[in-house]
Amino acid sequence: MTKSTHQTSGTGISRRQIVLAGAAGTITIMTGLRPTRAASKPKVGLVMKSLSNEFFKQMQAGADKYAAENKDKFDFKAVGMKDERDFAAQVDAVENFITQKYDIIVVAPADSKAMATPLAKAVKAGIVVVNIDVPLDAGAKKAAGIDLAFFGPDNQAGAKLAGDALAKALGAGGKVVILEGNPEADNAKQRKQGFMDSIAEGKLQLLDSKTAHWETEEANTLMTNFLTKYQDIQGVMAANDSMALGVVKALDATGKSGKIKVVGFDNIPPVQPLIKNGKMLATVEQFGAEMAVNGVKYGLRQLAGEKFSGWIKTDIKLIEANNV
Amino acid sequence: MSEIAEQARKQKSSALWENLLRISMREAGVTVALVLIVLFFCATAPYFATSGNFLKIFVQIAINTVLAAGMTFVILTGGIDLSVGSVLALCTVVGATITTDERLSAGTSITLAFLACLGTGALCGAINGWVCEKWKLPSFIVTLGMLNIASGLARVVSNNSTISGLPQPFVEFGNLIFWGIFPSIFVIALAVVLIGWFILRFTVFGRFIFAIGTNEEAVRLSGHNPRAIKIAAFTISGLTAGIAAMVYLLRLNVGSPIAGIGYELNAIAAVIIGGTSLSGGKGSIIGTLVGACILQVLSTGLQLLGAEDNVKPIVIGTVIVLAVILDTYRNKFLRAMESRKGVQ
Amino acid sequence: MHGDELTRSRVDAAAHAETPLLKLQAVGKRFPGVVALRDVSFEIARGAGHVLLGENGAGKSTLINMLGGALQPDDGAIWFDGAPYRPASPLEAFKAGIRVVHQELNLLSNLSVAENLLFEQLPSRHGMVNFREMNRRAAELLAEVGLDVAPTTEVSRLGVAQMQLVEIAKALCHESKLLVLDEPTATLTVREVDRLFEILHRLKAKGVTTLYISHRLEEIYAVGDHVTVLRDGQHVTTRSLSGLGIPDIVELMVGRTIADQGEFSADIPVGGEALGVTGLKLTGDSPEMSFSVGKGEIVGIAGLVGSGRTEVVRALFGADPKAAGRIRIVGQEVDIASPRDAVAHGLCLATEDRKGQGLLLEMSCAENTTITDLAKISWRGLLQRKTEHAASRRLVKELRVKTPSIHQAVRTFSGGNQQKIVIAKWLFRGPKVLIFDEPTRGIDVGAKAEIYELLRKLATDGKGILVVSSDLPELMAICHRILVFSKGRIAGEVPRAEFDQHRILSFAFQEYGRVRDR
Repeated sequence: MTKSTHQTSGTGISRRQIVLAGAAGTITIMTGLRPTRAASKPKVGLVMKSLSNEFFKQMQAGADKYAAENKDKFDFKAVGMKDERDFAAQVDAVENFITQKYDIIVVAPADSKAMATPLAKAVKAGIVVVNIDVPLDAGAKKAAGIDLAFFGPDNQAGAKLAGDALAKALGAGGKVVILEGNPEADNAKQRKQGFMDSIAEGKLQLLDSKTAHWETEEANTLMTNFLTKYQDIQGVMAANDSMALGVVKALDATGKSGKIKVVGFDNIPPVQPLIKNGKMLATVEQFGAEMAVNGVKYGLRQLAGEKFSGWIKTDIKLIEANNV
Repeated sequence: MSEIAEQARKQKSSALWENLLRISMREAGVTVALVLIVLFFCATAPYFATSGNFLKIFVQIAINTVLAAGMTFVILTGGIDLSVGSVLALCTVVGATITTDERLSAGTSITLAFLACLGTGALCGAINGWVCEKWKLPSFIVTLGMLNIASGLARVVSNNSTISGLPQPFVEFGNLIFWGIFPSIFVIALAVVLIGWFILRFTVFGRFIFAIGTNEEAVRLSGHNPRAIKIAAFTISGLTAGIAAMVYLLRLNVGSPIAGIGYELNAIAAVIIGGTSLSGGKGSIIGTLVGACILQVLSTGLQLLGAEDNVKPIVIGTVIVLAVILDTYRNKFLRAMESRKGVQ
Repeated sequence: MHGDELTRSRVDAAAHAETPLLKLQAVGKRFPGVVALRDVSFEIARGAGHVLLGENGAGKSTLINMLGGALQPDDGAIWFDGAPYRPASPLEAFKAGIRVVHQELNLLSNLSVAENLLFEQLPSRHGMVNFREMNRRAAELLAEVGLDVAPTTEVSRLGVAQMQLVEIAKALCHESKLLVLDEPTATLTVREVDRLFEILHRLKAKGVTTLYISHRLEEIYAVGDHVTVLRDGQHVTTRSLSGLGIPDIVELMVGRTIADQGEFSADIPVGGEALGVTGLKLTGDSPEMSFSVGKGEIVGIAGLVGSGRTEVVRALFGADPKAAGRIRIVGQEVDIASPRDAVAHGLCLATEDRKGQGLLLEMSCAENTTITDLAKISWRGLLQRKTEHAASRRLVKELRVKTPSIHQAVRTFSGGNQQKIVIAKWLFRGPKVLIFDEPTRGIDVGAKAEIYELLRKLATDGKGILVVSSDLPELMAICHRILVFSKGRIAGEVPRAEFDQHRILSFAFQEYGRVRDR
């Protein structure tokens, strides 16, 4: 069944939109109508994954803010998906931008392989494509006949930062479990690999590793089961902060929060107080808001004639109690 | 015999008109709605009335059209198939695994993948139908089970990863465009619809599909075995999921265990908007095609209008419900027409 | 409670002795393209047993639906109990004191008998249904109509006749001023009909007026004193029943004289065996039965509802499983495990429930006639519509089905024409043995005669025919022999020469341990 997306904080749709749409859908459409025919300014489209994910909400907020400040330089439109696994919808979004003759598409691919072909179409249509967040698969890029630079964080290195922090706190022989993201997602795989690297280096003992599909509630259930199964868990590595939230709740319920160390990834607002009060050990900031803004900037520079290739790494930073 | 022929000739023309009227009444409403929606977006949405946009819409409706064509068979018998989305996912990974096998030549691997896709889909469908009929279970539950089973199998087969690297000739065929506006995958979808239309309208099997949806017990008591027909309907739905998987591979060039999430609901929506009754016995596959077009045109048109992402599902949901409401009025009108002519 | 009701009725009667209970004035009702009722005016006196007659399509159902609140008149006015009466819903009609028992049963089949009976006024305590009280009151009502089932029985487990009695019991539990009964006896046996008439007499004594609709003309004298005849949506006459014979009434209904429907031509030759049944057992412990039907012979199956008539023919046809038994068709032993086998061997069944099990109501006349043998109208799986339409037209003509076109949906047909389509679809298959279960249920007089004619013709053509019917005079009119079922066994076999209602009934009651004198 399709996973419904759980929102950890805030709402996906503003109250204004709900009221308007409920009262008269067409009016909302009309008010949402934006002129896209300005001839001189370049048109920039941002294609993201699920907007119910806190990380992409930050990303959109950052990009929207930047676009508002630079209204005179370019037109901007951001698109998200209902379900982050439905990459066919992302393909549709890219195709729609092609139809509308956009100049720049900044994209956080939902699938590193599947997005190569449609993005190649955009490139062939003369559109500047900027790949952020998750790199396109090298083989797929080659097959599609494109060579795109990647502007994004090193997920594996980021996860290793968090994992190392945990290893340091526990010392060699510490017993840990991993909560993975969607098993087919590239960043989930990379993050797990980063955790595994820390485990090997820090000589930790891995008790179990299972997926909770990025979801808070599922992570809560999974952690509860882990706690029943393994009496001696000392540390938890969660592949994103939404799952870390679920883990902390499970620990709260059994009175073990603070005793079992938890690390996450993304540095979403709800985890910051948890890090402050010691319920979580650390998380990783990958500057989502800046990432999209930088994507747009790089796109504009490419449009102006500059060339980029390879992996332009964006910042990652370990967040702990001392630097929240 | 000649007397009958004479009489038949006399009644033929009026009967023909009557039939045409009846058929067109089924589909006229939705077709008019589609035309109006297209005209509306042509007038209001920038870039809508461009050949590039229509080409894109044709590309985008292909998968759903194929799925919905098979779904029409099941819904006409009064069943439902919730498994098509994940059966599609399973078929894409099976197909992609075979086509990317380096030991095979491109031609062999594509042929094998084609057969495997269709075979896997048909098998899943046949299992759906057989389980429903063998234990007299509601198809809703059985196909819900298959939805999960196929999804899990797809993950096992693909080892949770997207499979890419399909052979070049295959990818090129997927990018082929006929007469400048008809993409190859849309032509495939149209062919599926036409074959489905032919089967439903001109074959004994098609007649049984309608008859079973109208009154299954009467068909049984007329000396037939409705179970075999119903199993066949599910098999067709699975088969079209397999074909849709091929279309998916042609369009996106990857097989993925997470393909097709929620596709079953889009397919059902297309069938219902197309005027097929959920209780079975009434409807048409041409209507289904029109229904699929309406869904995609709305989606694209709204996006081009610049509507918020969250508005789209609200409008589409409203359209689905409206379609069903209009259907009740259409049925009332048809009945009134009949009883005016009919015997009291 | 009953005493109070009685007193009130008497006071009422004295107060408005001269005003009729129900008065219709120039009532009309149109449906798109059809005038169902036109300028109908008549009155029903207080305490009367009023009978409403008319062929199917005469407008009876429309009139009843208006009284029951399901339809509203387009023209004219109705007065009930001295006040203008225009109910917007069945609930309003019910509150005003009119209760309609419809021919199509309106029971909630997944609920218990008691819940159905007291649905509108479930006894409750603290907002919870008081089941004990509900079942107690239901048991009283069931006793009153002589239905011997537990109040907790689920309605779907009842037979059609039992459901009918539940409907009537339901009408009894609300003290109605006008009770409208639409063909209540269509599925009842003689004993049940007598029981119903007793109840009606008792209600009449209590001052309840009844409006009674039936196709069985002989029984209206037992319940009615006045009659209203409708024809083609128009009022023909309202008069006293006394001095009016059945032929007179039929004349009024159809506007023409028809020959006695019970004419039997004894010269149908009976050939060899068409159907032979030996040692048939429905379940492991049910009694064995054996019988046969000759070519050209019409054999009737009589018996009370619940005597196993329908069950036996359904098992023969393979529609329901049987425990044991050998079946021969035209001398050849055949194995029948499903309707498919039966049809393949030339045995067919026209079921009791035409709409539910016999017809594809939403599909056309042509599609219905050919559903039994699509191989005949197809070539390599492709339908040959010309052949189909020609075949359908031939059958429509042969059976005199009244329809403007073979493309008409059979839903729009009258009961008689629908039954003809059922016969047509079996003729299209070309069977050797035909079984009819209640072939004339709910069919008007003229169409009945035509159905009898058809059965005789089929027999003349050498087919074996088995007819199950609750209408004894009907069986006596058309059969060579009658098998009388009683509690699941064949209690007796009566040849035509010995046909006698009393004798047949005594067989029917044999297993129930008591025989009533008529």
